[in-house]
Amino acid sequence: MKVFSGFLKELKLASRGFYFYIEIFMAVLILILFLFIVPDEFSAKGEEYVFLDMPKEAKDVYLKGLTGEDLLNQRKNVKIKIDGKDKNVDLYETEDSSLYFLESKEDIIYMADNKRKISLIIKMDEDHNLAYQYYLQGYESQKLKNLIRVLNLESAHLLQENMDSLEVRSISIDSKRLSDKENMLPSVLVFNGSLMGLFLIAAYIFLDRQEGVIKAYALTPSPVWQYLMSKIGVIVFISILSSMLVLLPVMGLKPDYLLLLVLLISTAFFSSALGLLIASFYDSLIQAFGTIYVFMIIMILPNMAYFLPSWSPTWIKIFPTYSMLQGFKSVILANGDAAYVLSVSAGFLLMGLIMFFLANLRYKKILFR
Amino acid sequence: MIKVKNLYHSYKKDDIYQVKDVNFEVEEGEIFGFLGPSGAGKTTVQNILTGLLEIHKGQAEVAGYDMKNISKDMFNKIGMSFEQSNVYSKLTALENLKFYAKLFDVETRDPKDLLKLVGLEDKANMRAGEFSKGMKHRLTFVRSMINNPIMWFLDEPTTGLDPSIAADIKNIIREKNKQGVTIFLTSHNMFIADELCHRVAFIVDGEIKLIDSPRNLKLQYGDKMIEVDYIKDGENINDSFSTILNEDKKKLKEIIDNYEIQTMHSKEASLEEIFIKVTGRGLV
Ligand SMILES: Nc1ncnc2c1ncn2[C@@H]1O[C@H](COP(=O)(O)OP(=O)(O)OP(=O)(O)O)[C@@H](O)[C@H]1O
Ligand SMILES: [Mg+2]
Repeated sequence: MKVFSGFLKELKLASRGFYFYIEIFMAVLILILFLFIVPDEFSAKGEEYVFLDMPKEAKDVYLKGLTGEDLLNQRKNVKIKIDGKDKNVDLYETEDSSLYFLESKEDIIYMADNKRKISLIIKMDEDHNLAYQYYLQGYESQKLKNLIRVLNLESAHLLQENMDSLEVRSISIDSKRLSDKENMLPSVLVFNGSLMGLFLIAAYIFLDRQEGVIKAYALTPSPVWQYLMSKIGVIVFISILSSMLVLLPVMGLKPDYLLLLVLLISTAFFSSALGLLIASFYDSLIQAFGTIYVFMIIMILPNMAYFLPSWSPTWIKIFPTYSMLQGFKSVILANGDAAYVLSVSAGFLLMGLIMFFLANLRYKKILFR
Repeated sequence: MIKVKNLYHSYKKDDIYQVKDVNFEVEEGEIFGFLGPSGAGKTTVQNILTGLLEIHKGQAEVAGYDMKNISKDMFNKIGMSFEQSNVYSKLTALENLKFYAKLFDVETRDPKDLLKLVGLEDKANMRAGEFSKGMKHRLTFVRSMINNPIMWFLDEPTTGLDPSIAADIKNIIREKNKQGVTIFLTSHNMFIADELCHRVAFIVDGEIKLIDSPRNLKLQYGDKMIEVDYIKDGENINDSFSTILNEDKKKLKEIIDNYEIQTMHSKEASLEEIFIKVTGRGLV
């Protein structure tokens, strides 16, 4: 009961302060970015512009050959602007690239020079041999360059043979997948929830210490842990509020909100308890800022691993935010991996409790100086 | 109500003590004044007695509770008004009191009554952050009464208040004391001590120099001041001299011998003058 009335008071205090609105403002800003600016998929398919420098009949045969393959399944007639003029071109969509077939060599050179697109001229000589002429931009990876070289040197059927002999197995058991945009949400949740919570609670504590109200609190029979807990309660509340503000409009009812709540509460608890503990070693926010900053940076590191799957050293997994990200991803996917999410939550709850216990010991000693 | 024995305190936990071998007792129903100049250690002693500071050396007992092993229950019985106002500036006066009341396990007073007591009833819904210094101080003061303490600590209860409000506060203190509340107050204002306290302790540099009632102190040191108006180099000068201190006696004699005396009469020494005499120190 006292904890609850303490929580209500802290909430009132927070709602009359400046930080609360920063947090809400951040959430709204992120929401606007997500709704109106961030595209669903970032890596738009690679575009290639092709000119078939060959007689009409050969062109038809070549194109038919292309559409016959599984890779190329769609042909569309689209308008694109080349050198200020609208031109009708054929577009073939493959799994990972869009091929535009242009009408002239000049157009190809224009696209390569002015639009910086990968462009290609396929020329057929009198002996019906194909010559490939690529216009690259210089920043393509060596891998791509090698691939292009191989593609042109090896005869087509040989390559096909090689491909067929490879066994292709899907790595992801889970068929569900997040769009690039949705894939950013776990980071947003970790950042706006946990990392801000770390900072916020320290800010609130220092505000109270500056006003000296904690001394007055110390002269009541209410224990320190209740005071600390009601502060944490506010952080958890703000974290839930700002997370929902972003998540509901962007994801609708897709995520598993019950699990999300469990994870949000446990992670916000963890980071605010950590914030409390850090704050206990300093006398002012300015003094504490360096340490808080370092912790925030450390906690952000796993984000990089998250977005760069190729850079994922094992040591990064020991950072708490790594599991946070994975947990949130799982919840947003609603892939039913409740066991994972719950175990992550339990982990954070446990670590949070230990931190809270230590913070409580510290504050009993230092709050009242 | 309070028993203090060989109390020492060092903020840096070294050999330099800010409170040195302090001994005193406060009886139930008494108003006990701790008087001393700034930095003497008044607040430090008070903070030890309320449990805000840990006891390093010595013993202290407050309202029957050993301060080395504080029971939470003690806080239901004591109240403390802080020297520096410490209220939530983002909460209104009323909210501040309402919230504070909830922290106790005992019956608490109606916040509105308390605000009325110090003339803040019209400001109940104003945020404390918008209060003047004196208003904040009054709020801090009444907050300390909310749990009907039987042992009431007041750190500089009237410092910085205008005279009429200070008079109100003094009346409240007297009234509470009449109801049986024991009061420990610190001040460097001798008048309030003189008016309110049953007994006072003079503290300088962390040491208690003397404990007695203002009345006894005046009997002992009073009537022994001579106030003189005289003309020196065409100027009117007013001065008072002790009749015990040799130095003062010499000076007085010199004045009588050399200057034209206008008036001269003996007067009761004020507590402040006695303090200076006893400790050799001024109060600021
Ligand atoms: N937090 C602290 N850390 C270190 N020294 C302190 C601390 N608080 C007080 N002191 C020192 O202890 C001594 C006594 O201070 P205290 O506040 O008890 O004086 P006081 O008698 O209440 O003075 P005032 O009349 O100005 O309130 C002073 O020398 C002061 O510098
Ligand atoms: Mg003081």
